[in-house]
Amino acid sequence: MDLNALAGCVSSSGCLVTQTSSGLIVGLLLFLVAAGLTLIFGVLKVVNFAHGTFYMLGAYFALSTYQFTGSYLAAVAAGCVGMGLFGIAFERFLISRAYGTNVLMQLLICYAVVLIFDDVVKMVWGADFQSMGMPPAFQVPPYFIAGGIVPPFYLVLIGVALAVALVLGVALAATRAGKIVRAAAVNPEMVSVLGINTTLLYALVFAVGGGLAGLAGALAAPVRSLTPGMGFSVLIESFIVTVIGGMGSIAGSLIAAILLGMIRSFGTIGFPLFTDELIFGFMIVVLITRPTGLFGREVV
Amino acid sequence: MLRVEGLTKRFGGVAAIDGVTLSFPTGSLTAVIGPNGAGKSTFFNLISGGLAPDAGRVLLDDADITGLSRAAIVKHGIGRAFQVASIFPTMTVAENLMAAVAAHRGQWDQLGRRFPPPGARPRALEVADLLGLADQAETEAANLSHGDQKLLDIALALALEPSVLLLDEPTAGMGPEERWRMIERVRALWERQGLTLVFIEHDMDIVFRIAESIAVLCYGKVLAEGTPEAIRANPAVIAAYLGTPEDELA
Amino acid sequence: MAESSAPLPPAPSRKGRGSGAASPFLLREGVGGGVEAILALLVLAVLWVIPLAIPNAAFTDLVIRLSAMGLFATSLNLLVGTTGLVSFGHGMFYGFGAYSFALLMQDTSLPLWAAVLVSLAFSALLALLVGAVCIRLRTIYFAFVTLAMQMLLHSIILSWVSLTGGDQGLRGGIPRRFILGVDLSIPRNLYWASLVVLVAGLLLMRHVVASPFGTSLRMVRDNETRAAFLGITIWRAKLTVFVIAGVFAALGGMVMSLFVSGAYPELADWPLSGQAIFAIMLGGIGAFLGPLVGTLILLALNDLVTRATEYYGLALGLIILAFALGFRRGVMESVLVQARRRWPRVAGVRRG
Repeated sequence: MDLNALAGCVSSSGCLVTQTSSGLIVGLLLFLVAAGLTLIFGVLKVVNFAHGTFYMLGAYFALSTYQFTGSYLAAVAAGCVGMGLFGIAFERFLISRAYGTNVLMQLLICYAVVLIFDDVVKMVWGADFQSMGMPPAFQVPPYFIAGGIVPPFYLVLIGVALAVALVLGVALAATRAGKIVRAAAVNPEMVSVLGINTTLLYALVFAVGGGLAGLAGALAAPVRSLTPGMGFSVLIESFIVTVIGGMGSIAGSLIAAILLGMIRSFGTIGFPLFTDELIFGFMIVVLITRPTGLFGREVV
Repeated sequence: MLRVEGLTKRFGGVAAIDGVTLSFPTGSLTAVIGPNGAGKSTFFNLISGGLAPDAGRVLLDDADITGLSRAAIVKHGIGRAFQVASIFPTMTVAENLMAAVAAHRGQWDQLGRRFPPPGARPRALEVADLLGLADQAETEAANLSHGDQKLLDIALALALEPSVLLLDEPTAGMGPEERWRMIERVRALWERQGLTLVFIEHDMDIVFRIAESIAVLCYGKVLAEGTPEAIRANPAVIAAYLGTPEDELA
Repeated sequence: MAESSAPLPPAPSRKGRGSGAASPFLLREGVGGGVEAILALLVLAVLWVIPLAIPNAAFTDLVIRLSAMGLFATSLNLLVGTTGLVSFGHGMFYGFGAYSFALLMQDTSLPLWAAVLVSLAFSALLALLVGAVCIRLRTIYFAFVTLAMQMLLHSIILSWVSLTGGDQGLRGGIPRRFILGVDLSIPRNLYWASLVVLVAGLLLMRHVVASPFGTSLRMVRDNETRAAFLGITIWRAKLTVFVIAGVFAALGGMVMSLFVSGAYPELADWPLSGQAIFAIMLGGIGAFLGPLVGTLILLALNDLVTRATEYYGLALGLIILAFALGFRRGVMESVLVQARRRWPRVAGVRRG
């Protein structure tokens, strides 16, 4: 524990900016993953235990697309769209078989998918750490903001993630599709009785959820090393985000995710050895004091 | 004697139960009626410990049982059956009742012996017999007919030897003949066991034939309380619930 | 958001059409614990003499691992099958049992039996604390928060290198492996000891399930509302079984710790919990011996698969999918259903 370093950082605007920006990208990536998780859970009551796999595959798809085409934009599209399609396939062929059964069946199916694709990734890309490296478009000198170092890519990532958050929020609140999704989350029987094609709806939800996770993976690829099994820790943390933020609340996920990102970012300075424990501890405190999560409406 | 005073419960901005004051004398047989959404099931929940009221009191023989936990209220002697039969589907009728008997005797958390504890089976069969379920004792509860499941639901409540029994729509989901058989059985039970019985019911024929007194709830408030004759003639009740007869229009 | 939704109902519902799968017991009620104990001792006796007749290291190793993981899986089923508490993080107690026992043996001079008892006490305390936080959570959240707790423990094990050896695991072996004068560093002695522990553990857990408390747990699983309206204190029932399950999981972990002469982080890592859940489903969630049978199958499968391919995850994943999408009902449950059809007078039977 190094509280002096932490105090020193907070009081120095340069360090503050650097850490805040890295905390933001960690948090926003988490948010994208958590938003997908919460959407799938909210509408389908399915805990997508395989969500981390979407993130991982999104990153690897992006990696290969980038290596093949040299275009990061294509890579991001591949990760996002690819995982959207994967999500649809996953829902149609596998998860839909678990509708009408209990959470254990869901878990088994998801766990099986995690096991399978962790090995598939190993087979196709190898078990070693892979690295995409920063695309040349972003290999420019970092911005110096208030004395802190902010890589331009960070700003792009932050921008994209916030834009997605905005679109998602608006889509859910204002568009017809969004309203249907929200209605289905509250009363699926009614939605189906009203003539909405629930099969299409469920597939769509998984497409969006998967796409979000895949996007997160693709955005993370330049700044994270890729390894089979990278999905699991993301899964746990994104779930913690939804618990803290309140299941069913996109805004709550956003705030909780950023909070978590900041804890991680500043935590590595002050408490490098037990940042993880800090995050878990925070979740426990929230659960005890505010069982609905910070912004949730129903008791967890 | 079961008494409620000024009982109030709000959900969001809506008062599901609003200042309800009623009394149920010991050994009485009362029907609680009212249009859908009048708050009848909420009322039962408030008395039996399923919900804590926002205001008001529930008194059982002068003991204040307001807001107590379900387990505590069970100990005070209030038993309850549900609109949708609330039983244990994977256990047989006998096991259901033995479990209830064991729970009543404070044995639910025993680890030292095997289930069922001694003396539970005879008592369970006794209770089953009261409801006419004795010959189904070894039948798995999930395989019972709907009517028998409702009977088992009542039996579970009776196994707790309550002084007050709350029945939420005991004849729900039954055809006309079965309905009368059920309510007759309930009435025979009431006479035999000397219970204070309160039941929610929608079939007016049954209500007016069986009940000693009737309480009418509407929008969470007590519209009227009294004998069947008084209720039948009560203009407010007629207007709100029973329909305004043509010749009463002034 | 409403709890009910088109895709799935909230809890496993067992609408037995006279299938007889409702009772977890092989023998009908009233047969008594005495008969079961005698049967168990018979099996124990048979297994006891096998290595004397046919010495085989693979066999003794398998049984020791079966003992450890069988206890673990059966204890998990106390939560999942009996009470309806789906814990995804039960492995934390297995790992904690292994580490606490090994550490006590290494760092104190406690004799083995005392280290076991102290470790069990600590495990019970951990279960009490974790349970106190998690018990009031609803199904999905309970599942995931228990998982998060397990990952927290795993993370602590990895980072507290000075205590646990980090990702290398505990080095140095387990000293003073003597119980009642028997040296457990000799594999055959460990075999016999773990057999005894397994049988004793199973009989004890069986006793819990067959007691009035066990019946109350099933009531909580099937209809929590009604159970509360019968006077059962729900949180106390759940917390008690959570602690009991944690203690037996820890016991399994200790057997494993003796087997591997130490402890390593994988014993607290999530795949162990996941595999235990698969073992339970494989063997049959509704049968008391289901988890044990499932563990045996899984261990055998593991050995086969690791010999056949290096892509163990892929193979296991495909097997799990085949099971989840195809078979559904566990092996032991199927056995029970068949047994009841053929020998209704002996096997626990339901008319319907």
